Amino acid sequence: MPDYILLIVACIFVNNILLMQYLGNCPFLGVSKKMETAVGMAMAVIFVLVLAGAITWIVDIYLLKAFGLEYLRTLSFILVIASLVQFVEMFLRKSIPGLYAGLGIFLPLITTNCAVMGVCLINIMEEYSFTQALVASFSYAVGFGLALVLFAGVRERIILARVPKPLQDTSIGLVTAGMLSLAFFAFKGMV
Amino acid sequence: MVSGFLVMGGLGVAIGVVLALASKVFYVYVDPKIEAVEDALPGANCGGCGLPGCSSNAVAIVAGKASASSCVVGGPDVTAEVAEVMGVAITLQEPEIAAPGCSYGYQEADVKYLYQGINDCRAATLLDGGSKICTIGCLGLGTCVNACPFGALSMGPDNLPVVDTETCTGCGTCERVCPKHIITLTSTSDRIIGEYVTDECTAPCQRNCPTGINIPGFIQEISNNNYEAALAIIKEKCPLPLICGYICPAPCELACRRNLIDEAVAINPLKRFVADYEMETEKHITPYKAPGSGQKIAVVGGGAEGLTLSYYLARLGYDPTILEAKPQLGGILRYVIAEDRLPRKVLDHEIEGILETGVQTKNNVVMGRDFHLDTLFQEGYDAVVLTKGGFDSRKILQPDQKGYDSSVKGLYIMLDFLYALANGEKVDPGQRVVIVHNGIEAIDLGRKCRKMGAQKVTIISNLKSHELPIELQGSEDLEAEGIYVKHSTVVTGLKGISSRLVRVALEDTHPIGELPEEKATIRADTLILSAGRLPEFVFVRSEDQPEPEEGEIGWETIETFRTFPGSKEGICTPPEPGRISDSSAVVKSLLSGRRLTRAIHQHFSSDSVTPIQDLVCETDTILNVTEVHEVISSNRERPHIIDVEGNSKTAWIFPDEYPGLNEASARNEAERCLKCGLICYRKQK
Repeated sequence: MPDYILLIVACIFVNNILLMQYLGNCPFLGVSKKMETAVGMAMAVIFVLVLAGAITWIVDIYLLKAFGLEYLRTLSFILVIASLVQFVEMFLRKSIPGLYAGLGIFLPLITTNCAVMGVCLINIMEEYSFTQALVASFSYAVGFGLALVLFAGVRERIILARVPKPLQDTSIGLVTAGMLSLAFFAFKGMV
Repeated sequence: MVSGFLVMGGLGVAIGVVLALASKVFYVYVDPKIEAVEDALPGANCGGCGLPGCSSNAVAIVAGKASASSCVVGGPDVTAEVAEVMGVAITLQEPEIAAPGCSYGYQEADVKYLYQGINDCRAATLLDGGSKICTIGCLGLGTCVNACPFGALSMGPDNLPVVDTETCTGCGTCERVCPKHIITLTSTSDRIIGEYVTDECTAPCQRNCPTGINIPGFIQEISNNNYEAALAIIKEKCPLPLICGYICPAPCELACRRNLIDEAVAINPLKRFVADYEMETEKHITPYKAPGSGQKIAVVGGGAEGLTLSYYLARLGYDPTILEAKPQLGGILRYVIAEDRLPRKVLDHEIEGILETGVQTKNNVVMGRDFHLDTLFQEGYDAVVLTKGGFDSRKILQPDQKGYDSSVKGLYIMLDFLYALANGEKVDPGQRVVIVHNGIEAIDLGRKCRKMGAQKVTIISNLKSHELPIELQGSEDLEAEGIYVKHSTVVTGLKGISSRLVRVALEDTHPIGELPEEKATIRADTLILSAGRLPEFVFVRSEDQPEPEEGEIGWETIETFRTFPGSKEGICTPPEPGRISDSSAVVKSLLSGRRLTRAIHQHFSSDSVTPIQDLVCETDTILNVTEVHEVISSNRERPHIIDVEGNSKTAWIFPDEYPGLNEASARNEAERCLKCGLICYRKQK
């Protein structure tokens, strides 16, 4: 049990996927202009990442490792994740239209999200068990959401501030992201 | 190597099959129209239609919840395209344009503190409502300019937003972001039927004008040498500017802020000046007229109120017909007011202008003799309005006068009813009688009605219980006699079938919050009004009537514009409960004509007439100033008057009529206007 708590804290804060591993930077800058969209994106990532973590773990152990085809990992994971998102989208649209409308355009965006891909690969490289992989995927996704929501909050306030013209929009966004990353760097000392 | 191909290939095939199956199993039908409509919409996702984005609007249009013209941004082209997809006829919508409602930037206005915080009006509002003393002043931080998705707004040199009317699409984004509700969408129709409210910047003269002409606005246009635009502004509220120019008592000038230093601006002579200009050019300026909606409205009475009502109905796209009892239109203006105060050629010119907007007339027809309520409905009119105004409206209520019969059976003025009884005429009051009266005579009359066979008599009074005569207060004895008293109540509507009265709608007059507002409809065969004139009623067809017989038409009155005495005070308090007009000045009749237009327009366009909250003329608690500084005193311009003996000032004669201002003095006078807002005014340093 303490192991799992350590895993969760490590995945959310210490190895935060956005601010410490620098994965998934496109949505980090793209959908962080408004709190509303940031929350939607965070939810969609949590949802997909848990599913993708589980499926890719199964694919890796029972398909790739069984046939000694580890070198096809990246290729097959892209295929699996992309089709998984497609499938989930269809399923939600029919069965849970409410959730579909809520997640909306964020689901297809995740097909090409390197944070999802990255977490699945990390799960395998760290040689997690199935449960560990599930917990890690969930925690990384929560960390993703946390960073995104924090960043969106900061950016919403920056819009109202008097920013010099050349630095407006993405430039000041990147500067802010850097500072946020530095702040998260402090968690390195925890573990 | 081979296993690699097999595994990847197998994975691909397996996933392909699963997805193919899933697309069948989880298939959701999407109306192809939705996609077609969405393609036609501009995709700006501005929210001007009131929905979150273009795709939501497409769904709403296909579901029939939004009209083909709901996209305010796209304009007629998009509407046509959407209408084609949907296969519906196009209904044209009047364009709405954003208009900033503040005219003094923070350099000129008085401020409480200097604001240096976040550069956004919404944040600035959090600090005691912003830095300006005026609670509705523009904070000038440009939130609306940043929000505008079409780049139609910019910040002017005085830190006030400037609207580019060419690029403004009327999406309403600026209106939604402005924390002060200063920038709002407006259209000519909105201004015609609108009234000033307390959170709107108004000048003192504008507030005191009974019909609410935008006085600083039209004077500004005179300064700009644009007399037609000035007239267009006046005609949004007053269709008879020249007549008013001659005979209006001009309460606006009493409120003029210049009174605090020298003399009021000659507002009424300035109005007369632009109206004279129109008369000299011999053409009538009709600025905006909505496309026809086809509803036919019968306006009974062609006086100032009926003319105003018809003029605005025509401008809003209705098809009004004036039914006038006298040989010519004009009412009191023509038949009562002396010709040397109001030359008849002025009157004819103004009436001609009103008729040019598409108003039809029938003269020499009398309600009760030549037509009745039900015959009008049978002729195809969608609504009938009584604008009997200043003239005695008893004729239509008096069944026994020779040659007339009552247009609405069962409706009497109390005096006529008593007169008929005293002369021994036979009157059948029916089963249920409603008497609207505050005095003890009502009890007498009630008893008489009971003797004549009425089962139940209800006395309605607008007074509170303790203000009533003592005889009407202890009502238990009366109730034993079958006479019931309702205090703090007014009659707000009638319902009937063909030409007879069936029901009377009552409403409690207690101010909201004091007691629950009560509405009730009671059966009535006879309604006896204590005195005065018949209130303005707007009659429309009604399906919801108890058992009309074959060939009969059910009707009811709709709510017009009214305020209850005692609930609020101000210059708009109506003269009698239930009435909205006051014939003490022509400008007051214009107001009620305009308000009736509002009621009719709301009834036909949105089905319910909504009361306006926080009317500016009902309140005394409005931001104002009592001292004026930094203004140079100057004399009011006066018309040049010829006197009897060369330059003797003892006796005046008017060559033909009272002369107006000439152009030079009108321009000088226009410069005297201080362009007031609530507390701002133009300072001369």
